[in-house]
Amino acid sequence: MENNNKKSSAFYSYCLNPQVKFDTNEEGEKVSLLVRSHPFTQINWVLTSVLLFILIWIINPFIKNFFDLKQIFVLNLFFYVFVASYIWINVLNWYFNAGIVTNRRVIDIDFYSVIYKEITVAQLGKIEDITVKSGGFFGSYFDYGSVFIQTAGSAVNVEFINVPHPSKIAQIINRLLGKKHGYQ
Amino acid sequence: MDISKFFSTIGEIGIKNIFFMLFTILFAIFYFFYALVISKQVRVMDKALQDKYNWLILFITSFQVTVSLILLIILILTIFFI
Repeated sequence: MENNNKKSSAFYSYCLNPQVKFDTNEEGEKVSLLVRSHPFTQINWVLTSVLLFILIWIINPFIKNFFDLKQIFVLNLFFYVFVASYIWINVLNWYFNAGIVTNRRVIDIDFYSVIYKEITVAQLGKIEDITVKSGGFFGSYFDYGSVFIQTAGSAVNVEFINVPHPSKIAQIINRLLGKKHGYQ
Repeated sequence: MDISKFFSTIGEIGIKNIFFMLFTILFAIFYFFYALVISKQVRVMDKALQDKYNWLILFITSFQVTVSLILLIILILTIFFI
């Protein structure tokens, strides 16, 4: 696989051969791919944050009648802190919800609401089927979609949701599977 | 404190202002604990996924804890002393 370390696209959500480590990293295990949700899929909370910032400017003239200047200052302070925290928690959710493909396995790291952690691992040898789902106007335009990796038996399946270049990801996993099974 | 003096003090400050004080102080305390929990969780996540921008994430999280503490202090000063 070509080493295009510097090539990370879509705001660091699709990185080939990244310099990352994870807590169950094994000796000699090489990370081939790191993926996160496509930045476009984060547009909801970005727009909400912008609207909340605008909202405070709209609300301020109305609350002047109910609160004194000191109280308005405190309320504004709270509001800005609240919006900043909202942005930050969403950034953390995006940053730490990652999918990793190594030369031995596929790992899906999920953090729900930052408080709950779930790490799903599928050994390359146990992967049976890879499904790529991409669609919709924005999905087609920005080239993002979901990759579902099914494993043998009752093992948990791995899902990369709304990731950039889903077909390329499937291609990379297939190539690694080929190497693993000795087809390439 | 004498009960009549207590009620006259409440009357001077005003019920609305007392509720405002309580609400803001409680919010600031909750926010401080929330920032601490997030900080702890980010450290756990930092171990789960070690990427090149983790230093920035850790820095901003520490900054958030500092801000929450400053906010609490500012509130106490604003409400009780200024």
